[in-house]
Amino acid sequence: MTDAPSRLTLTAIRKKFGALMAVDNLDLSVEPGALVSLLGPSGCGKTTTLRMVAGFETPDSGSITVGGDDVTRLPPNKRGLGMVFQSYSLFPHRTVAENVAFGLRMLGASKQEQSDEVRRMLDMVHLTGREDMYPSQLSGGQQQRVALARALVVNPRVLLLDEPLGALDKALRESMQFEIREMQQRLEITTLLVTHDQEEAMSMSDQIAVMQGGRILQLGAPNDIYDRPETAFVATFLGTSNLFEGEVSADGSLATPAGALPLPAQKAPGARATLSVRPERIVLGEAAGALPQGLSGRIVAASFRGSYAAYRIALDGSATEVTAYRQADASLGQTSLVLGDRVAVGWPVEHGVLVTTPDSRN
Amino acid sequence: MSDTAQISARARRALLLAPALIFLAVFFVMPLADNSARSFIGEEGGFTLARYASFLTDRFYLGVIAETVILSAAVTLISVVIAYPVAYVLVRKAGRLSGLIIFLLIAPLLTSIIMRTFGWQVLFARRGLVNQWLVTDLGLLDAPLRWLNTPGLAIAALVHVLVPFAVLSIASVLQGVDRRLEEGALMLGASRFRTFFEVTLPLTMDGIGTGAILVFMIANGSFVTLVLLGGGFQTLPLLIYQQFNTTRDFALASTMSTILLVIALACLWLQLRLVRRQGV
Repeated sequence: MTDAPSRLTLTAIRKKFGALMAVDNLDLSVEPGALVSLLGPSGCGKTTTLRMVAGFETPDSGSITVGGDDVTRLPPNKRGLGMVFQSYSLFPHRTVAENVAFGLRMLGASKQEQSDEVRRMLDMVHLTGREDMYPSQLSGGQQQRVALARALVVNPRVLLLDEPLGALDKALRESMQFEIREMQQRLEITTLLVTHDQEEAMSMSDQIAVMQGGRILQLGAPNDIYDRPETAFVATFLGTSNLFEGEVSADGSLATPAGALPLPAQKAPGARATLSVRPERIVLGEAAGALPQGLSGRIVAASFRGSYAAYRIALDGSATEVTAYRQADASLGQTSLVLGDRVAVGWPVEHGVLVTTPDSRN
Repeated sequence: MSDTAQISARARRALLLAPALIFLAVFFVMPLADNSARSFIGEEGGFTLARYASFLTDRFYLGVIAETVILSAAVTLISVVIAYPVAYVLVRKAGRLSGLIIFLLIAPLLTSIIMRTFGWQVLFARRGLVNQWLVTDLGLLDAPLRWLNTPGLAIAALVHVLVPFAVLSIASVLQGVDRRLEEGALMLGASRFRTFFEVTLPLTMDGIGTGAILVFMIANGSFVTLVLLGGGFQTLPLLIYQQFNTTRDFALASTMSTILLVIALACLWLQLRLVRRQGV
């Protein structure tokens, strides 16, 4: 870990598969030692982007640099990167120790150096004593750790994680998220993570790049993207959001089917706009009476989710439904709501966010 | 109730298998048993191992066994070396053409082995097509070459027959090798060449093993090719044929048949072990 962490840059990357534009003019810079997630639904180009960084695909145009060196046309084995695959890709015919030592052996390390490094890495991933087992004898989580140790032992300039936790169950996934993140920060290794799991992206990343149709829609810190989504897609892909579409009227409010809603920012009258409000920002019941929206409705669905409760409210006088989350905490003095209750609905104006939708963009 | 259901299921299975089993018993197991039994019955009608004792201590016969095994081993080695790249292209590179390649592989197997061997004769006879090209059409040689009755041509003809078996065995295992494993090796700094020897080849050893044993077994018992193309080999099947038809020493022929059968069974046993290990 003596080397300073490397910066990873992708400049104007394009990749077409037949008629399909898989990656479309993508720019990305990953700060040295940072973890950036490519987040998006399947087919958004995130995996193709990762595979181009790894060297398994060659971009049609654009360039990729690692620590200032142009690696765009280098084969994977000359790039000095590490990768953890979704299926782990451990060599089934080799023991845990042989798997971890593989990269060192390719570099021509001595037997002594190999066994020292393998011991150190297995200690780091809490797998001491499993050296002589075969991958098939390990649990999914343990295989994941071996894969991580195998990728990190050669001290790669950039670590690539391809849906690394996709095959694990939920509880294990959460603890591995913390573990990988902690290790990544301790080793200060520049990391690119590909995932379709927004929770994984939010809990592990310094920055998230939300992708759709081969482009990065928005890049930013997890809380920035969550609190200030720029597009309706980002607002709904990263968490849940209530979207209100309408036209800005002369008084500066947004005329929507649900009613006239005050906007958090000035907008020219006549323009179409979409307002996004997170469910946890919605206020229900008496407290909403003081809020400017003046909406009311009836609870049509209620579900208990442990630390909070989720409600769907059908607004009066329109077909609009609103999703709201409420902390399940009696000490807040909230009366519990049940199906069929009539409630007032509102939110502090500053918690609404103006987003663009596909038809309001240009 | 589940007991009766089980019994009836078992009975039904037995009933379905019965025709095949009876056929095999009457036309395969019984003649084979009869043939083997003959090798153990002495002149006076008692049990004897004398024929095996004399056969397995005779330098000539041991030489024949050795020649049979060496010929089969050579054919096996050449077949596997030829088959691996074909299997690799078939699985990894052919894409839409893989169906065509499989057809081309299997098509020769649909022709009778006698016809195929005659084909080799037509091509390589003294006045055959190949000599005609070399001497008359291309003028590369002054006199026709002697191809028939050379070891090389017999081996080539056997390889031609047996390569498809090796290709299909290797391809089926190669198909199951996860490409991500090779990508994993590349990411860890292995060149494509090194990746092949570190990952792909070890993971396809079972396919090579299965294919090699199959080829070896068939080559060991091959008869028609060697009879028609010659090659100066003295193998067990040829010797058995001689004993039956020329010398008419049925007992010795039976002894040799049994020894050939034991070699084949040993191969089968090896193959089953390979397959079972795969299953674990």
